[in-house]
Amino acid sequence: MRTNPPAWAEAMLRLFLRPDVFLSTSGDLLEQYRDSILPVRGLFRADRWYLRQVLGFALRKILPWAALFAGVFVARFALDMLHPTTDFHTRSQVTTYTSIGLLLTAGFWSAWRSGSFFAGAAAGFATVAAASVLSIAGTAGLLAFWHDAPAMSAIAASGGLDEALFLPAFLIVPGIVLGAIGGLVGAGAKRLWRAI
Amino acid sequence: MAEILGTFEQAVLLAIIRLRDDAYGRAILQEVGLRLGREVAPGAVQATLERLENKGLVTSQLGAGTPIRSGRPRRFYRVGPSGISALNDARTAVEHLWRGLRWPLKGHA
Repeated sequence: MRTNPPAWAEAMLRLFLRPDVFLSTSGDLLEQYRDSILPVRGLFRADRWYLRQVLGFALRKILPWAALFAGVFVARFALDMLHPTTDFHTRSQVTTYTSIGLLLTAGFWSAWRSGSFFAGAAAGFATVAAASVLSIAGTAGLLAFWHDAPAMSAIAASGGLDEALFLPAFLIVPGIVLGAIGGLVGAGAKRLWRAI
Repeated sequence: MAEILGTFEQAVLLAIIRLRDDAYGRAILQEVGLRLGREVAPGAVQATLERLENKGLVTSQLGAGTPIRSGRPRRFYRVGPSGISALNDARTAVEHLWRGLRWPLKGHA
């Protein structure tokens, strides 16, 4: 019987940790997996436990980026709802470029820390995925307070409720691409830094 | 006065002190879980250890691995003088809060 957690889950963990931290942390997880979890819970549930721990590590690392990314969308929603405008061009530009900057930075930072280009793409994906959930919660929270006719009319004029709630979720692919670009620069910069 | 430690930070620091020379990631995880009486996520302990190390309250160094870890190193932690001082401050703060009250509390809230 297999006594190792899935290799792909370990590879995923590697993307979110510094190389030196990965060695000791993955050792701790492996010891817990083999010694305490696998004998009691069986292979399937032990693998599920391991994956949950990896996701926990990943979430802790990308949560600040996800919160900032979601914050951009929730702030834009609040602005459109509470201070309606007919010219959305400037607001859209600010939202778009801030989001691009955040995803590039998240990708750069993750790749710099782990030394792997793939960490950037993973950070882009995880940031957008977590931000989608946070954004829905934030938007729903605002709607709980402001849902009178003028507010709903302003929301409809700015793109509608669907767009406000689910736009971040549609940005998964751009998130991966931008994270990967940031990751490419981050991993390259790290190599250069080591070489100097 | 220095920043007061959170409950989880205190639990991790006290676990390191209790474990002495055996204070590495998994042992700390188990000790904290035992003392708090609940299952604790390894990620939460790891994040706390990193934070405490960044604050200068603990130091760490890598040690040898074991077969059950497939040879991967263990990171051993020690509480530094700042950590001891922070724990003492935390204990003092709690005692100040409770001074003059009988424990356990009884009667009407």
